[in-house]
Amino acid sequence: MDAQSLITFAIFAPLLGAVIAGFFGRLIGDRAAQLSTTALVFAACAASWVIFLQVFSGSLEAFTLQYLRFIDVGSFTAHWSARLDTLSAVMLVVVTSVSALVHFYSIGYMEEDPHKPRFFAYLSLFTFAMLMLVTAADFMQLFFGWEGVGLASYLLIGFWYKKSTASAAAIKAFVVNRVGDFGFALGIIGCFWLFGTIEFAELFPQIAAKSDVSVAFLGMSLPAMDLLGVLLFIGAMGKSAQFFLHTWLPDAMEGPTPVSALIHAATMVTAGVYMVCLLSPLYEFAPVAKTVITVVGAVTALFAATVGLAQNDIKRVIAYSTCSQLGYMFFAAGIGAYQAAMFHLFTHAFFKALLFLGAGSVIHGMHHEQDMRNMGGLARFMPVTYAVMLIGTLAITGFGIPGTYLGFAGFFSKDAIIESAYAAGLHNGAAHMAFWFGLIAAGLTAFYSWRLAFMTFHGPLPKAHEGAHGDAHDDDHHHEPHESPMVMLIPLFVLSVGAVFAGYVFYDAFVDHHQAEFWRGAIYTAADNHVLHDRHDVPGWVLWAPFVVSMLGLFGAFVAYIWKRGMGKRVADRGGPLHSLFYNKWWFDELYDATFVRLTRVLGDVFWKVGDQKIIDGFGPNGFAATAAHTARRLAKLQSGFVYHYAFVMLLGVLVLGALGLWLSGVWG
Amino acid sequence: MMDVLVQQLFFAGAEVWLAVMAMVLLVVGAFVGNRATAAISYASVLVLAAAVAFIIGLNGHPRVSLFGGAISTDALANFGRIMVFVTAALAIVLGDRWMKRVGLQKFEYPVLMLLAALGMSVMVSANSLISLYLGIEMQSLALYVLAAFSRDNPKSSEAGLKYFVLGALSSGLLLYGISLIYGFTGQVGFAEIANALPTSSKVGVVFGLVFMLAGLAFKVSAAPFHMWTPDVYEGAPTPVVAFFSSAPKLAAMILTARVLTEGFALATPEWQQVLIVIAVLSMIFGSFGGLVQGNIKRLLAYSSIANMGFALVGLAAGTAAGVQSVLIYMVIYMLTSLGLFAGLLVTARQGRPLESFEDFAGLAKVRPGLALVMTLLLFSAAGIPPLAGFWGKFFVFKAALDAGLVWLAVIGVVLSVIAAFYYLKLIKVMWFDEGDRPVDGIAWDAGLVALAMALFVGPISWFVLPVLEPWALRAAAILF
Amino acid sequence: MSSVGLPHFLGVAAIVFTVGVFGIFAARKNIIAILMSIELMLLAVNINLVAFSTYWGQVTGQIFAMFVLTVAAAEAAVGLAILVTFFRNRGDIAVDDASVMKG
Repeated sequence: MDAQSLITFAIFAPLLGAVIAGFFGRLIGDRAAQLSTTALVFAACAASWVIFLQVFSGSLEAFTLQYLRFIDVGSFTAHWSARLDTLSAVMLVVVTSVSALVHFYSIGYMEEDPHKPRFFAYLSLFTFAMLMLVTAADFMQLFFGWEGVGLASYLLIGFWYKKSTASAAAIKAFVVNRVGDFGFALGIIGCFWLFGTIEFAELFPQIAAKSDVSVAFLGMSLPAMDLLGVLLFIGAMGKSAQFFLHTWLPDAMEGPTPVSALIHAATMVTAGVYMVCLLSPLYEFAPVAKTVITVVGAVTALFAATVGLAQNDIKRVIAYSTCSQLGYMFFAAGIGAYQAAMFHLFTHAFFKALLFLGAGSVIHGMHHEQDMRNMGGLARFMPVTYAVMLIGTLAITGFGIPGTYLGFAGFFSKDAIIESAYAAGLHNGAAHMAFWFGLIAAGLTAFYSWRLAFMTFHGPLPKAHEGAHGDAHDDDHHHEPHESPMVMLIPLFVLSVGAVFAGYVFYDAFVDHHQAEFWRGAIYTAADNHVLHDRHDVPGWVLWAPFVVSMLGLFGAFVAYIWKRGMGKRVADRGGPLHSLFYNKWWFDELYDATFVRLTRVLGDVFWKVGDQKIIDGFGPNGFAATAAHTARRLAKLQSGFVYHYAFVMLLGVLVLGALGLWLSGVWG
Repeated sequence: MMDVLVQQLFFAGAEVWLAVMAMVLLVVGAFVGNRATAAISYASVLVLAAAVAFIIGLNGHPRVSLFGGAISTDALANFGRIMVFVTAALAIVLGDRWMKRVGLQKFEYPVLMLLAALGMSVMVSANSLISLYLGIEMQSLALYVLAAFSRDNPKSSEAGLKYFVLGALSSGLLLYGISLIYGFTGQVGFAEIANALPTSSKVGVVFGLVFMLAGLAFKVSAAPFHMWTPDVYEGAPTPVVAFFSSAPKLAAMILTARVLTEGFALATPEWQQVLIVIAVLSMIFGSFGGLVQGNIKRLLAYSSIANMGFALVGLAAGTAAGVQSVLIYMVIYMLTSLGLFAGLLVTARQGRPLESFEDFAGLAKVRPGLALVMTLLLFSAAGIPPLAGFWGKFFVFKAALDAGLVWLAVIGVVLSVIAAFYYLKLIKVMWFDEGDRPVDGIAWDAGLVALAMALFVGPISWFVLPVLEPWALRAAAILF
Repeated sequence: MSSVGLPHFLGVAAIVFTVGVFGIFAARKNIIAILMSIELMLLAVNINLVAFSTYWGQVTGQIFAMFVLTVAAAEAAVGLAILVTFFRNRGDIAVDDASVMKG
């Protein structure tokens, strides 16, 4: 098959799966729904890898395939198409691979759930929407996919809709994303207004010529590119859970764990990063927007890492870790190292999905226990899970020997980002800040990642957990932690391979000497942007710094949770200001609750009680309804049933109309 | 001479055919008795189908004036006749099956329907006051009997009686108006009247015109000549009411449009004001009156009063676009109404028809399909886009706006919101109220008609409207 | 002695018509009276038509009057038939009885 057919197949196979499982799931049964969706996504995955390897080997040129015309109004046209270039090829394999493995894993994980077809339909639907997003050739489809994944995410977070926290989390994710989407939509509208098109291929070449255009916005004169860049980035902030708009991501962990792995770690949340890289032609002309991205990314990287230190829910730790890693990607893009951002996105997808699915395995083995304080010593019970989690931890902490090619996936990508930040920071304050933030965050990452590993797999198994979850489960379950079934372990093995080797194998192509041949223009870098080149000239201590801080983090975690067991707990119990700041996630939820939520509620109350009930209802519907009912009863009385009354009304009518006619014809008028 | 007669009989073929076949079927029925009812019903449907085919064959033929200008065949007449015959055929099928179920099957029913259709056919093609009167009477006499068709039902005979008495009164008013118009112009043909108007006494003509309009308004059940409608709708057999609410209204509306625009174009400012008063009153009575009804048939009666008000808004515009909008509106209204009444016939509880709000409580639980069909029709009637009912209202109000009748359109929109309330109330009762008492089996004839109409006001209308629109415009253009 | 002209005919017709109309809602006891009132109204119209016909020197009005007479006969027949049905159901023909349906 040629690449065109392959990509079409890869995009539509998940849709087909979603339709089969969604509409005919009840008809064909659970097993058939699971197998059909999984098989189709695996097939899509295979097709994507074929395409990616062709791109990787340089034997496939970029192309855009148009399926059909979406909208054609005036000068506004939008197509449904599939754009294939290196960027989308990378995303294709990331999305389909993780999705395929998550489908497979879910067969085991969701074994006891009564609504399997619905779950698999949502997963496949999500995959389709994500593929739409990454293959978009214009903003319309990008937005469409953007909202599509948002919808799927909403449905999956709230999959256990009977759990009130899950519904609330789904709504929260939805609402927070609306804030981001508002900026995103404004950005798209602005692009159309400025360039007269939303088609990337037509839009990008115009940017250089219009880079000096200024627009009046909120009374200020702003460079148009910066304004557009910031507006679009606000959308990315929402989707990728960046600082200020991050609050939904930890709550999204209420969804089933495979969902967290697929959507809230590997794919959807990286859509923002992907978009910034895709729009590199725009951002290269938007220095202010790039600075904003750098700062927000760096702050998020550090902030989320600090919060991760103090969380006790195994999934929330990983969620904050995701948030933090996304921060890395953003500040990499912000300093112009888009390739490094994409590379980290790529490797992160493997090891973060691995960590999540590993955590899922732990949760499964612990009978839906998620609090790490109730865990410990699980290495004995689930050695395989322990092994793969170790690999994931080594990968996320970026373990590797600096100066060599020995290291886990995270080592290559994260160090590339930190080195680039240092190089860019030599003549850019924001990048300099990002370097230090990134470095500190790397140490914190090591601490919380090892903390997770130690708390979960080492030490004694607390007896307390047995009663804690007894109500959540049937009594015929044996409560001893157990290793997960093979169907859940196989995806872990596959992802482990990725977590170990993805960095080494693709380092050269993504960010090193052959990056130009690999990307082939899919990422635009301005002539004065040679950050990727400069990072080779950083001093030696910069190479070693991440290694050292992550070793420090490891050591700290070792001391606090293994050597001097109980130290971590004592610190937590003492509840010092720093710990409570981290533990309470910097009080963001409380802050938003006190400001936005309360303000909205007050405003809503005012509108409802005064505006709606008193004014609108009083004069409008209710008053109106009362008047109407009154009138209707009067009219009903007129309809007496007596024929002579009817005749009388008719005659009265004809007389009045006759008088009117006479008046009109000028007798009395 | 002979040739001329043959030619004229040919062009009046549909009417001649209906008249002859009605007699033939009547004689057959008289000799064979009620055993032949089903056969006569289907024969009547075939007769109507043949008439429709004949008219479609005539379609595109230029206007032909027949019998000294008494009637004419033209695009408007063809439009009206096709709609009337199709509706009549549907009503015959609905009625025959229903009457068989309730043990009321009589061969007079299809014959009376044929005669009523013949009367309406004359109405839509009338070109003189004489044929106008004869058409109306032909139709009315048949409908009086149909209203009282359920002979042993006191309500039905009361309905027939009321309809007859008030109908006769309205005929008297109409005829008195006609006699005045004839007296002041010396003419009975519409075109001749138009020619004679400039030299006639304006006061006399307008006075006569108001009387005539009163008679016509009675036929379309426009306020304040609407009082018969709720009682007759409640009492008369439901299939008959389904017919009442559809074809006669269209025929009378076309007739009104024709006589006003062809005969009294010069008096447009006068009749426009009269129509506006009638339209506003109808909308008010129809919209408010329906709010307190518990009986669905009564409710639909008020609905039809309100709908006639909306249609008259289009007519009051006095433009070709206005008449076009009326035609579109009437067709959509007719089919919606037919569908709703068919929906009432679909099922029953232990043989007792579903007629009140309580009967419909929780219908969605026991008969979700029927509830869905009814919901679609009610939504259309309420004017919810993108259903057909919305487009009907859209055309009418747009015509009024284009003619400068802004406040009339505003009143219309406000009152249509009020009228929407009772449709939505029925929907709410069907879907959300408690009650899952079982119902009898489905009557498929009525069910299919209701379903077809629901589909029509739904998806099919999006394909039909682009065809209906130019067709209605062609028909309306005849008058201007 | 002034000759009888068109206004006289029209006046008589108007009076007869008004009597007919009033008869319809004055006759509360007996529906037969209503039928007679209707007949009066139609006859008033006929007077009008014939008078105008003479006034204009045409036969159109007289032909129209013929039609009206015919229709009036048919109408009376139908009306009586309905009345019979009503009587069979109620055992009475008082107009007040025909008020089961209202509202």
